[in-house]
Amino acid sequence: MLNIEGLLVHFPYDYIYPEQYSYMLELKRTLDAKGHGVLEMPSGTGKTISLLSLIVAYQKVFPLEVSKLIYCSRTVPEIEKVVEELRKLMEYYSKQTGESNNFLALALSSRKNLCIHPELMHANIVVYSYHYLLDPKIADLVSKELTKKSVVVFDEAHNIDNVCIDSMSVNISRRTLDRCQTNVETLQNTIQKIKETDATKLKMEYRRLVEGLKEANVARETDVYLSNPVLPDEILQEAVPGTIRTAEHFVGFLKRFLEYLKSRLRVHHVVQESTPQFLKDIFDKVCIDRKPLRFCAERLRSLLRTLEIADIADFSAVTLISNFATLVSTYSQGFTIIIEPFEDRTPTIANPVLHFSCMDPSIAIKPVFQRFQSVIITSGTLSPLDIYPRILDFRPVTMASFTMTLARTCLCPLIVGRGNDQVALSSKFETREDFAVIRNYGSLLQEMSAIVPDGIVAFFTSYMYMENIVAAWYEQGILENIQRNKLIFIETPDAAETSMALEKYQEACENGRGAILLSVARGKVSEGIDFVHHFGRAVIMFGVPYVYTQSRILKARLEYLRDQFQIRENDFLTFDAMRHAAQCVGRVIRGKTDYGLMIFADKRYARADKRGKLPRWIQEHISDGSLNLTVDEAVQLSKHFLRQMAQPFRQEDQLGLSLLTLEQLESEEMLKKISQIAHQT
Amino acid sequence: MDEEPERTKRWEGGYERTWEVLKEDESGSLKATVEEILFQSKRKRVTESHGQVRLGMMRHLHLVVDCSRSMEDQDLKPNRLTASLKLIETFVEEYFDQNPISQLGIITTKNKRAEKLTDLAGNPKKHIVALKKAVDTVCLGEPSLYNSLHLAIQTLKHMPGHTSREILVILSSLTTCDPANICELIKTLKSLKVRVSVIGLSAEVRVCTVLTRETGGSYHVILDESHFKELLMLHVKPPPASSSSECSLIRMGFPQHIIASLTDQEANAAISTSSGADLSLGGYFCPQCHAKYTELPVECKVCGLTLVSAPHLARSFHHLFPLQAFTESPTEQLQKDRFCQACQGELKDKSIFSCPSCCSVFCVECDLFIHDSLHCCPCCIHNQSNP
Repeated sequence: MLNIEGLLVHFPYDYIYPEQYSYMLELKRTLDAKGHGVLEMPSGTGKTISLLSLIVAYQKVFPLEVSKLIYCSRTVPEIEKVVEELRKLMEYYSKQTGESNNFLALALSSRKNLCIHPELMHANIVVYSYHYLLDPKIADLVSKELTKKSVVVFDEAHNIDNVCIDSMSVNISRRTLDRCQTNVETLQNTIQKIKETDATKLKMEYRRLVEGLKEANVARETDVYLSNPVLPDEILQEAVPGTIRTAEHFVGFLKRFLEYLKSRLRVHHVVQESTPQFLKDIFDKVCIDRKPLRFCAERLRSLLRTLEIADIADFSAVTLISNFATLVSTYSQGFTIIIEPFEDRTPTIANPVLHFSCMDPSIAIKPVFQRFQSVIITSGTLSPLDIYPRILDFRPVTMASFTMTLARTCLCPLIVGRGNDQVALSSKFETREDFAVIRNYGSLLQEMSAIVPDGIVAFFTSYMYMENIVAAWYEQGILENIQRNKLIFIETPDAAETSMALEKYQEACENGRGAILLSVARGKVSEGIDFVHHFGRAVIMFGVPYVYTQSRILKARLEYLRDQFQIRENDFLTFDAMRHAAQCVGRVIRGKTDYGLMIFADKRYARADKRGKLPRWIQEHISDGSLNLTVDEAVQLSKHFLRQMAQPFRQEDQLGLSLLTLEQLESEEMLKKISQIAHQT
Repeated sequence: MDEEPERTKRWEGGYERTWEVLKEDESGSLKATVEEILFQSKRKRVTESHGQVRLGMMRHLHLVVDCSRSMEDQDLKPNRLTASLKLIETFVEEYFDQNPISQLGIITTKNKRAEKLTDLAGNPKKHIVALKKAVDTVCLGEPSLYNSLHLAIQTLKHMPGHTSREILVILSSLTTCDPANICELIKTLKSLKVRVSVIGLSAEVRVCTVLTRETGGSYHVILDESHFKELLMLHVKPPPASSSSECSLIRMGFPQHIIASLTDQEANAAISTSSGADLSLGGYFCPQCHAKYTELPVECKVCGLTLVSAPHLARSFHHLFPLQAFTESPTEQLQKDRFCQACQGELKDKSIFSCPSCCSVFCVECDLFIHDSLHCCPCCIHNQSNP
């Protein structure tokens, strides 16, 4: 039982980390202020349980202020972890208070565990994936009935802007259009059939559409529903336009739209245009007005419902197109349309794609911020904190970064800037093909493979870069030398191959053979997979993982950020690269008993603008002496570090420093120390 | 080519270490450094070992020495192999000194194979000769943990149940090349009650952690040469006997040393177990079958009787009646002169140790020395002789 500024919190563990206490303190202040918060705390310090126990306690004490907790995480395993912690907390509650649990928690993970009992809408705690709240297509189905007095938590939210953008962006290829064509034909046939058997059904629908979407409007005004960003407010006051009101007309309309898109894909050069331009063009060419386009998504949904089509998944293509139609006609800003006749990598193969790309992540998340009284954005790596409120366009009441209190320095970040021959190491474009750099990168990995036990994870900036380097290493015989020390596994874009490699990698770490996993920043491995203890004793980041800057979508987005949010291109690119680098290296430290080396192999990391964007808990362990090391120096430091870390380390060594009992926590001195953990920005 | 980088490395090593110490001083909030933790564990070892535990007096220990490529590393001087072998020599001597009725065998592993350097035997000389020879071995390839353990089991499993079965691995490499799944072997080791301990020369390897945890052994990684020696000496003291090990009475013979005259008839029938180079007239005669041995302790090759001398048995005894642990108190409390009663050095550490029976104070090092080697408090003895 903890006392957090007057709020009694049941905490299900005997010991608490100081930063957990500090985290709860900040969290409570955020809830008190009924505002939004951005909190960064290193992974493995019990973020989840701190969040859960504080918010649950808050709910119990102030049931009128906060009635619901919505916990959003990214992947299914993460959701399961949350549920596990929650279960522990609930058990502790019933043991402490002696009464049976009147709390209802609901987790939506995958379809196999899905339950749609209406009572679940009244659950006190909801745990699910981001998409249920952010993706307009799903949010409408799942999340619209959540009350205003909810606390929304986005965990692992360092990539939330990309999730927002993805949920609002549409890519249309020729294949999509072909599948859409089939869908439309199926629709037409079904309509024909129903018309012969049950014409009243279509008439009913027609009547409903004449009355308009008033119902939805009433609901929104009375604050029952979460607003759907796809469906802007104005639509609700209007009835579905006559041109697409009957089913046949609508199908005809879809066909016309489809033909238009097909013609647009028949290009030989890259086209980029704004949404108004696109709308004008479509009006000129096939006389499709803006208004019916806006109702396209809603109209299709109504039709599918009327036709009682069970398997909606089959109609994903036509749903996609209709969503595109609605979005393109609704938003005149924040989106761009890019039609590319071929991919950059394969300029000879025609594969036209229409990218309807969202450039403003705040569009998707705006309803969430507007609707819910407290939204908490949290992750292990959110630095620099101030950029998130800017790109997501909200005003937080608390922004804090927490450090990790440690009884022993269990992370060792090293910046290797030079090879043994003093050649500067860098992955920047000019030196990318440089033989000396590649060789020095090779010798770094080789030396590390000889001194680091069990698993090493190495990250490259892209698949292409990895391929080039590995090929060069093979020719220089470096790969063979490495293989004397450890087995080598490689991540590929293929998910099955990668999971196979991962499995074998873990086996090799387990039985003492030792292994190296070569993977890619922004890949599957860098985002979702933890390398606890022996699965990752060192992580090597070869180069700075800048996003591929030649992409037109990115260029458009950068331009937009500059014009709308006054964020300079370079700032954003560096921010994005550093958050990915931090994600990659953060994979090895998953708790206080864990330890690992973090090697940044690029001299650019030593610069203040890069280093300053790393999370504080990593930054504070980078000493001036480890800024520009040669490979040999790094090896020496690593050897020393690994020996130190291999010394026996028991729980009692942590007690009082980085692990506290209740008595220790309540001491005056400790409270003073704790107040220094949070770093407000 | 090898010369250049090594020299810079050595220089860097010295430089980095001093800086490392400085860094730890600076970060005031994180004052518990690894050294501090180590100091605590050092003390803990002494205090812990003085519970009422049964210790196995008769030990069978197989020493596995890694002779793989990584032993050529020069972070121990002149290289890991030479330094380790030298330390192992002192260990062997100490081992037989403290455990006279125990046996020891040495296995080396390199190039994915394991070989026996010496068989399980009770004679320190043989082992030391073999170790001296082994300095010249070429370090090759990778070690094989599986093969070494397997080889050790082959002999250990035939040892009687009342004796301890132990394996101590000195592992320098961070990888092991195994012909089969080592987890199965760990299970076998566990069922045979073989205790495996590992001393790592470079870093913590997962498989060793599992191996030692499962078999009840200890796992340590060295920091430097003196720490290495300390860790090795930990294994001189017999481990607590598992409660499940059999208790049995063992027949022992206490032969007398007799110098036979040339005319003696029995001298002809004598067997000499020592290398055979020096045939001597004198020797120990087995009280049961009158076989002759030049050295004790030994197991009679004729009738299988364990032959020991009384002092041997007595030396093994201190494990059973250990010296009481000294009480720790902060240095500030000490009113008298702050000098250690044993080494006469000034007491600078933050805590001192005093003997509960005679109240003499000692420093940490002397405390360890008294408990590890002397097994009696020098001041108590002194008082006894001068009443």
